[in-house]
Amino acid sequence: MNSTAEKNELIFGYSSGNLSEAKSLFVSIYLYLNSLAGKKSQIFENILADNLNELDDIAPKNFKYSDCIKTSSDSKYKTNKSSNPFSNLLGDFNNINWKSVYKGFKEYNLPIDGDDTIKLIKMEPGTSVPLHSHNGKEYILVLDGSFCDEYGEYKKGDMQINNQKIKHKPTACDKNGCVCMSITENEVVFLGKFGSILNLFTFIKSFFK
Amino acid sequence: MENDKVVDLVKKISEERDERAFSQIFDFIAPKINAYLIKNNLNIEQAEELTQEVLSTIWIKAKLFNPEKSKFTTWAFTIARNKKIDFYRKNSKNYANEEDIRNFLYENNRFNDYEIQSSIDKIKAELDENQQKLIKMSFFEQKSHKIIADELEIPLGTVKSRIRAILNKMHKFLS
Repeated sequence: MNSTAEKNELIFGYSSGNLSEAKSLFVSIYLYLNSLAGKKSQIFENILADNLNELDDIAPKNFKYSDCIKTSSDSKYKTNKSSNPFSNLLGDFNNINWKSVYKGFKEYNLPIDGDDTIKLIKMEPGTSVPLHSHNGKEYILVLDGSFCDEYGEYKKGDMQINNQKIKHKPTACDKNGCVCMSITENEVVFLGKFGSILNLFTFIKSFFK
Repeated sequence: MENDKVVDLVKKISEERDERAFSQIFDFIAPKINAYLIKNNLNIEQAEELTQEVLSTIWIKAKLFNPEKSKFTTWAFTIARNKKIDFYRKNSKNYANEEDIRNFLYENNRFNDYEIQSSIDKIKAELDENQQKLIKMSFFEQKSHKIIADELEIPLGTVKSRIRAILNKMHKFLS
């Protein structure tokens, strides 16, 4: 799997503005936490913006510059820096309305419409997710702490992309555990004894969606 | 228009609320933004409506433009792109306003555009004309892989693999 190319595709998708709402939120947090990813996005934005100079101009016919001044009141003319739009997500993780899935593992589904499921996951130190693979792609971004699996350790600002071929068993390895944001394009398939119960659970849960 | 001249005009807008300076910026950038939105499949009416919003934003938020951090066209492009995203999501229950998020990233996480210019130049030198065209069609004009395949009369799989190959090629200049 060439995960770097997939990450770049995601970053470029974000720069051009063609991602779903859930993915867009996910990538914006990735760019916020990971300065290399932020830099890539900025390089790409510049390359895209340069295309503006090569377009044949099409002057708007129905309004003039003065209309743009009229429609905007100077009361909106603020110079304050924007407040952090992620503060309700990345602020105090204790304030989130977590739902316990099993011992040491909690999740919170973000209320965003669309095909992708986006959620926050909180794992207590040492907690593992049973060995599983994926029907569709899964994107995991570490927001706090770290997790380890067969492929290495992932820290704050690191992203892991898992496709169908990957089977893994992530464990929260930081002393404070791990908080991640994940996007799944399809349901996860659990393997092993405990897994079959979870699969059944996911199967039953799908009826109540 | 040269970037220095543009930066000077935007400064007049933000510091002196100079309407004449704004009219010059309008003549320079509005036709480009409008053309970009039409290229992105908006009809003329929608494109003009959004172009007016973009130019109003430039008038209102001129102070947020930081010439040390970015070129004016890049800044204007990002505003137009953000308006386009919010236009398509008008009916969704936004978790967070896209424009707020992107403004926040612009203010907080930005390298200096002039520092990254060498990477940009290297990438452009590395990509041949056809590759630049593919990037432009896919990411600037937001054409689907299917439409690109039809327009260029090449198989869909080839479009996908070529775009993937270009992104891989660009990667070595991105870090």
